[in-house]
Amino acid sequence: MAGWFSRRQFLINAGLAGLALKSPSLFANTSGTPSLSPIMRQIPGANESIPAIGMGTWITFNVGGDEQLVAQRTRVLKTFFDLGGTVVDGSPMYGTAADVIGEALDSLGAHDRIFAATKIWTGDESETRQEAARSGRRWGLDQFDLLQVHNLLGWQGHLETLKQMKANGDVRYIGITTSHGRRHREFAQIMEREPLDFVQLTYNVLDREVENRLLPLARERRIGVIVNRPFQGGSLFRRFQSEPLPDWVGEVGVSNWAEFFLKFIISHPAVTCAIPATSKVEHMKENMGALYGALPDADQRQRMADYVRSL
Amino acid sequence: MSGADWLSYSLQDFVMFGPQVFLRLFVRINQDLWPWQVLAVVAAIGIPVLLFRQGRNARCLAVGLMAVAWAVSGYGFLVGYFGPINWPAAWFGWAFVAQGVLLAAAMLFGGVHGGALSFGRFVALWLIVACGLPWLVLAESGQWQALALFGIAPGTTAAAGALIVAVITGPWRWLYLPLLVLWSLFSAAMFWVLQTSWLLVTPVATLLLVGAGFWLSPRPARSLD
Ligand SMILES: NC(=O)c1ccc[n+]([C@@H]2O[C@H](COP(=O)([O-])OP(=O)(O)OC[C@H]3O[C@@H](n4cnc5c(N)ncnc54)[C@H](OP(=O)(O)O)[C@@H]3O)[C@@H](O)[C@H]2O)c1
Repeated sequence: MAGWFSRRQFLINAGLAGLALKSPSLFANTSGTPSLSPIMRQIPGANESIPAIGMGTWITFNVGGDEQLVAQRTRVLKTFFDLGGTVVDGSPMYGTAADVIGEALDSLGAHDRIFAATKIWTGDESETRQEAARSGRRWGLDQFDLLQVHNLLGWQGHLETLKQMKANGDVRYIGITTSHGRRHREFAQIMEREPLDFVQLTYNVLDREVENRLLPLARERRIGVIVNRPFQGGSLFRRFQSEPLPDWVGEVGVSNWAEFFLKFIISHPAVTCAIPATSKVEHMKENMGALYGALPDADQRQRMADYVRSL
Repeated sequence: MSGADWLSYSLQDFVMFGPQVFLRLFVRINQDLWPWQVLAVVAAIGIPVLLFRQGRNARCLAVGLMAVAWAVSGYGFLVGYFGPINWPAAWFGWAFVAQGVLLAAAMLFGGVHGGALSFGRFVALWLIVACGLPWLVLAESGQWQALALFGIAPGTTAAAGALIVAVITGPWRWLYLPLLVLWSLFSAAMFWVLQTSWLLVTPVATLLLVGAGFWLSPRPARSLD
């Protein structure tokens, strides 16, 4: 990603100017002064920051050889980049999503704008390098920024190889993933023992178990945290979107439910980045709104959680 | 993985694509095949006509056409279009091809009986399947190009194929049934998760038509040989 900042910044600002015209409240922070800088988070232990909102690709980017939908998802990815996003998360498990990202990156000429994160998802622990190479070909990348062991499948063997790959400079960061609250005890044990750069786990305004052990442990061990299922796979919208937002959320830079859910997550001090998935440009714009403006403090976060529970 | 972990999985976790992409598969295959759909329509009309003509050859030809319909919808739609976004669909696609081979073997090796069928009931059910079910995808997607034709769309083909239970005998019939049941359960679960409620009609109809196939088959079954 080196050497792209000024061009990227230009594109971000151009995108933001459009977004600001559409939704001026988006850029008002608590002090009332406009803020055009995206919320960035430092990767613990590294001299690098990434935007606090990334993008997932499960289901949404698995559109096969449907050229019409590939073009539409390319517009979703373009919107993401234009609004300051860089972190894209995939997995060989996500069907054709990797090919679709590859095609979209090609047509946008955006290989240098992405922080590419994928996973190793095979029970064969000797296949780590081969699977990473296959994914690289599908994304059209020589190297991934982050490789994660998907759902701890064959994690011992894969992690050993990933450590070697990192030492050789074949990947920049390594990590492990879980979701839906699965295998947290084993996950914590690996976090305690292994030199991980990132963990990926499920955290949202309703699924908060990780606040007890995994998030504090990530801070203690200086491990970056990527949050999956920030909208509980979309069910948060199905449950709450018809409800009014509380009056006071303007104070925390929130003007819609997407921002409400995402800002709740990224305001946790252990969280590096949340990776909501969407198939729609309009939803991407809403989600990227959470990358700007004020964030709730600890008290306000508690009020957000209480409000959702009261509905 | 512990038992508790398995319990944390829901049907949702196994469906890796969205409804929009699925419904567009019908539009895409119809656009790509145009105008060869005519052949599918001819087969859909030809099968009941041949079944009720006198003589072994006509009935065998009808079963042969049904075998081709299984194989074409399996290989074309399931392996070619659906498989890339949903791996189990490709496995089902190959099972559809095997079902076609099974039916062809039944046709060649005495698995098709020559007993009289109730013409009115069979044709009425066949017409409901071949002319009614294709519109469900259209109702769900709102796109007329999404018509789920017999011989192309696996759901309509399987539903029509269920009626063929009426003309195949003994062990062939029992070999023919598992795919009908498995496919119906698989597609019903998938439509449930995708919340495409119109489409649920097809697997439910398929299971009912299996029963209808038994009901229509003459007793005792008489082999053509
Ligand atoms: N074990 C693992 O490693 C693991 C497990 C789960 C997930 N993940 C990663 O985490 C990512 C995110 O999780 P997820 O995809 O399961 O769920 P999610 O991001 O919580 O929710 C995605 C759903 O939310 C909807 N949505 C998004 N933005 C919206 C908006 N502004 N308004 C209304 N609806 C909106 C999307 O529908 P539309 O398309 O209509 O916008 C989609 O159905 C995945 O894509 C994947 O990359 C990893």
